[in-house]
Parts: sequence; C-alpha cells; structure tokens
Amino acid sequence: MTSSPPPGLDRRRFLQLTGLSAATVALGVSAPADAAAVAGAVDVPAGAFGLGVASGEPSADGFVLWTRLAPQPLAADGHGGMPREDVVVSYEVAEDRAFATVVKTGTAIASPALAHSVHPEVRGLQPGREYFYRFRAGDQVSPVGRTKTFPAAGQPAARFTFAMASCQAWYHGYFTAYRDLAQRAVDAVFFLGDYIYEYGIVAGGNLWRQGVSVGVEHGVEIETLEQYRLRYSLFKSDPDLQAAHASAPWLMVWDDHEVQNNYGSDNSLYGIPPKLFVHRRAVAYRAFYENLPLSLDSLPQGPDSLVYRRFDVGTLARLNLLDTRQYRDPLPVDEADRLSESRTIMGQAQEEWLYGGMTGSPAAWNIIANGVVITAVTDGRVEQWDGYPANRRRLLAAMEQTSNPVALTGDIHHHVAAELKADFTNPSSKTVGVELICTSIGSDGDGADTDAYAKDWLQHPYVKLYSGRRGYVHTTLTPTEMTSEFVTFPYIEADAGAQPKVLARFRTPAGSPRLEAL
Amino acid sequence: MAPPTITGLRGTGQLSTVTLDWTPVPWATVVDHYAVYVASGSTWTLAGKTVYPRFVHRKLGFTAVTRSYRVVAVDAAGNSSAPSRTVAVANKTSVTVSGRPIARVGYYDGKGEFALTPNRSADYLATFPNDVDYTYGVSVRDRDWCYLQPGPSDKWAGSKNHRVRFRFNLAARPTTDLDLALWLIDSHASLAGSALLSVNGTQLERIAFANGATKGSTLNDSTLPGSPLKPSYIERPLPRRLFKVGQNFVDLYKDTGSWIAFDAFGIYARS
Repeated sequence: MTSSPPPGLDRRRFLQLTGLSAATVALGVSAPADAAAVAGAVDVPAGAFGLGVASGEPSADGFVLWTRLAPQPLAADGHGGMPREDVVVSYEVAEDRAFATVVKTGTAIASPALAHSVHPEVRGLQPGREYFYRFRAGDQVSPVGRTKTFPAAGQPAARFTFAMASCQAWYHGYFTAYRDLAQRAVDAVFFLGDYIYEYGIVAGGNLWRQGVSVGVEHGVEIETLEQYRLRYSLFKSDPDLQAAHASAPWLMVWDDHEVQNNYGSDNSLYGIPPKLFVHRRAVAYRAFYENLPLSLDSLPQGPDSLVYRRFDVGTLARLNLLDTRQYRDPLPVDEADRLSESRTIMGQAQEEWLYGGMTGSPAAWNIIANGVVITAVTDGRVEQWDGYPANRRRLLAAMEQTSNPVALTGDIHHHVAAELKADFTNPSSKTVGVELICTSIGSDGDGADTDAYAKDWLQHPYVKLYSGRRGYVHTTLTPTEMTSEFVTFPYIEADAGAQPKVLARFRTPAGSPRLEAL
Repeated sequence: MAPPTITGLRGTGQLSTVTLDWTPVPWATVVDHYAVYVASGSTWTLAGKTVYPRFVHRKLGFTAVTRSYRVVAVDAAGNSSAPSRTVAVANKTSVTVSGRPIARVGYYDGKGEFALTPNRSADYLATFPNDVDYTYGVSVRDRDWCYLQPGPSDKWAGSKNHRVRFRFNLAARPTTDLDLALWLIDSHASLAGSALLSVNGTQLERIAFANGATKGSTLNDSTLPGSPLKPSYIERPLPRRLFKVGQNFVDLYKDTGSWIAFDAFGIYARS
C-alpha cells in the first residue's frame, strides 16, 4: 500500500485528504481505493456472502450495489457472525458475466454499525444496458449479480419489462415464485411491501414451510435492532430470494410489516404509546436500509426515513415509489372522520410531490408503486385507501391529468386487476388508470383459487381478476401498450418445485387506460 | 466508542410486575436495544432487552420483593454503555396473599377453568343468552361462569355490550373497604378495551384492560412453558359504604373492545 496514513495522521484526516466525505465512508457507500490500509487487515470468515448480493435504484448511468457480510447469517446478535471491526469490501462492474470487460471498480467499508452492509453507488455507466457485478472481502468472492441501467434521460425507449412481488412470509412456504422470476431477466423488480414479518415464528403454529425448523430466538415478535436484523437474515437466507435479487435491480416500497402489523406514522395498533413506538420504528427502518439496495438518501435519521422517490425510464415511463405508512393519518375514529376532506394516507408534502411529478411528467407511462390497495372495495377496509377516500379523490384527479397512470400494489395476498374510476361511487364514470395488484410470494401459504373475500371484490364491474394463489406479475411496457401477465403456483408449502401457470394476461392500450383480457 | 450512559432511570411496582422508565439516548446514537439487569442479591442477571425506553419485568410473584435494576444501552455496532445508576423497586403484594377471601370463582393460578373452556366461544350466545349472573355458593364454576367476557367488538357474541354479575352474601357490614381481585389469563391483542365496575348498582370506575395476545379464546393455561398467553392482574378497593348485610353484587359491564379471559374473580376482606 503506497498511501496508508503516515504515522500521526489519524483516519479522519486521512479521509479528508483523499477527498471522500467521512460520512459516505462510514456508511459503506465509498472508500479510498486503498482503503484496506485504513481499515486494517481483518480476517473475513468463510461464507461471508451468505446473504447474497443485490442491486437497486437504477438510473441512466448507474445503480446502487448491495451486500452484507454474514458468514453466520442466523447469529442471534444480528451481526451475522462478523467480528466487531470494519472490513473493506471491493467491487467490480463488468459488461459480461465472465468479467472480461471490467468497467468500474471501487471499495466500501463494511462496518458493524450497519451490520457489515455496503451500499456503493456506481455512476458513469452507459444507459440502457446490462451489467454484471461481484464483491470481494478478504480472500472471498461473492456470487455474480446481473443488473441494468435505465435508458438515457429524455430519450425514448422501445421496451421496459418489470416484475412485481410482495408479502414474503418466509414461514408460510417456499419462494417458488422467485425461482421463476429470477429466470426472466427483467429490467427491474418492484417490491411492494412486507419484505419481512415481525411475528414470532412457531412450529405447529405459523411455520408452514415444510422441512425446516427455527430456533427459539425466532419465536417471539421482533422489537430490537438485533431481532430485525436477524429476521432479515432468516428471510434472505432463501436461495430463490437471493437469485431474484441477483437477477435484476430492485425498487423497494415498504408496507406495515417491515415495522409492525397495521402501524401508521407513530401509531401502533397494539397500544404502544407513540413516544415509545418511534424507537421501534427507528430500528425497523434502520434494518430495512441495512438489508436492501437503497441509496444513502434513505438512510434513517432517528425514527425518520425518506423512501418516497422517483425514477425515469427515458421518456417511456416515470416510476413513483410511495410511502403510504410513515405519514398516514391514524385509522378513522368514525365515519365522519373517514370521510374528512383533510384525511391523508401520504402526508401533504408527499401528495404535492406526487401530483406535481405526475401531471408534469414527460413520460408516456406513469407508474405509482405503493403499499396498499387504491381501488374502492368496501368501506370497512380502512387500512388501505378505502380508509382515506379524500386522498384517493385527489390522487384520481391527478391521474385524470396524467399520461397513462398505472398503480402497482401488494398487501392483500391476492392477484387483482382493476380499473381505477374517476369516481368510485359512480362505476360508470371514466376510467382514469389501472391498478395491478400482485399476490404474495409466501404469505398465506398454498392459498386457493378463490375464497370468502372474492365477492367483496368481484361485486365491482371494474375488478377484472381475483385469485388467492401465490405468485408474481410480469409486465412489459412499450410506447403503445402495457401487457401484464399474472403468474401463479399451485402450492408452495411442501417444496419449491411447483410449476408456474399464467393465470391471466391483460393488454392496456396507451391513451385509453383499461384492462383487455388476452 | 461507547454509547452514552442511561439517565433518569425510575421504577414502579405493580402486581407481579415492575415497570422501569428512563431517558432515551439522543437519536445521534443508533440504539440496537437497552439491556435491563436485575439483582435481588449481589448477582446481576439480564432481565430482558427492549428497544423502548421502558421495560416491564414480569412474573415476579404476588408477594412484594425489592429488587435492584440498572440499564445498559447497546448501539448498532454492538458497543455497550456503562451501566446506569441503580434503582430499587418492589412489586406489590396481592390482596389474594394479604387478604381474606369472602367469595370467589376460579383459582388465581394462571389457568382458566370455567364454562366453555378452552375454546367454545362460539357457544356463548346459546349458553349465556342473558350473560353471566353468578351467585357464590349456589352457582357452579364450570357451568355458570364463562371463560370469556365478550365485548361489543365480538361478532360471535352478537356485537353488543356484555355484563357479568357476581352475587355473594355478607353476614355483617364490612368495617374496612373490601378488594376486588380480577385476574386474567389473556385479553385481545389490540382491542382489550375497558369495562365499568359497579357495586350494588353504584358505578365505581372504568377499568381499562391491558392488551394481551388474543390466544386466551383457544388456550387456557398461561403457566405452560412458552405459553403465548399474556396474563394481567387487576385489584381495586371497593368502598365499604356500598355494601349491606345479605346479598350484594358486583358488576363488570364490558362496553368497549373485545373479550377478556378470566383466571379468577373474587372479593377479599382486609385482614
């Protein structure tokens, strides 16, 4: 090493001289090229890449890469079996899977304060092309990930493919859907909430994934940072989830179970006072950041985290990722409250940001990815947009002024395809957009083709599909149409061997939002 | 670098539990959890971990014992703070230990042993069309006292308010206040709600129930290892002026929330 700190020059001063901010170094985003000398030589235990690799947040010239060193992913203290020391992680980005043409290299420091996760932000790449990446730590090399940049800003693009996934209750079954999704080499994956669940996992209770067992430390509702970290480790130990992350860049939306069932803002459904609950939210948001390919913008500050954000796919599509949990009003106390004009599920700042970004969008398609169902179903579903009708009216009014709005949603463990009406109290009103609701990856186990809730949905002429099986959605956008394909699996509890079935396909013509069954 | 040392630690004792509160460390430190240590002699042991600046130490029994507590902050990197100063807190003695039973139903043993135990809530409306009206010395525990008291949030019980009435005789007017001992093996996890307490038709107070685990409608033994049930204990003074010679009755009128699951219900004299 030629530029290790001279004697008497401390680490902070050394970093200043290298031109990198101490913050991005400490936070695992970037580090001096010869950072190994700063961090010191640490033996990295074998199997350090036990949680796989991931990429996310693509732009026209780059993306965020992610890994988290965890040679013993299920170590009960949440530190993954790593020593409590900084470790240098280097990465390579290449144009080919064999790494014959490496176009970027860099380093980042994996520190125990972030559970040895790194989030390098790679820039300066070519638009609209496939890249491959891998990490090194000590003498170990990670699996190879495939990712892709978005098309050039302001330029048209011929085609954009994406998959949708949500609600991956690991304990309810195998991630067969990810095994299939990983083979499809999409341009991006939208994850639409409930990446983990906070509940205790108990054999004979909710552990329906056959042939596995879990230790008692998984048997309680999670609450501390070490417990949230451990829960991510458990879920992310699934090889099919790892394969799906390694197959494409992910765009992350959260819902409630990343913190606690049906929480909203600082309100717990279970009576935990807000001044206490914010401490739980802080560690839950922290673990979400640590375990996913998110940019530094989403690093929580105390109990707050900025995760609503926007990406442009050339002029073909604008992607708006919403946060419908952190800023929502509490559950309505009565019907007058539910119907209040001031009621919001997004918070005023996010509403203004979204409507401005929709109506002023240059894109042909305007995607709104969110955690809970927008379509009107029944008034009693107060945890979704049915509990916030005034906010929904404002959103639908913005959709009327927006080119080809498409909502992507998870949460309900069912495939549903619906047309969004200008006025849901008048089903013959204009269709202003469509909502594609993706079933769960794991939650609710095998499921069934239909169930007792079907009539709530299918009573509405604007609901075009309903299924209670597990699966994912695959969508193709072109300048002239959107094709959405709803994939299901006949079982997931016994093993990961079920074969996919295309349950339904719909065409949505540009300029005329509707769902035409194919 | 070690996180800051916890300040402001204070504690209060309740039945079977001690609640500790302290000042959270500033957000600049990312806290993984607070580790709470307890000593009743000279040896410190880990009582539990919590992310909140509050900890409830449970299962401490029903006779007061003074224990010492201190708290350590553990940050996101795994570093521990120095221990806080020590506070001494005692749990409370139950009237079921200090008092003399006058009338009771159930055993104060962490188990529900009543009509419809452990999971037949669906039979409630057919079995108790007029709710529970129990006369001590006449009624039969496992026939006349239901294991659950439903609330208006329970569709299976008609989505309406429900009362339990407990009748008992006094040979003489009491010379000191009496005590109600109402122990639960569990309650609903988010809708435990509250009930109005009255003696001989005079309303005394509204009792708010702690949220439980929503498991007591199908399980009845909170003493089994690893039981998911979340018991809670309510003991309240009943003013002596409200009682008379002969038959008296105490009512619990559940007009908010969902069900509670009984461990025991009784009236105690102070001895």
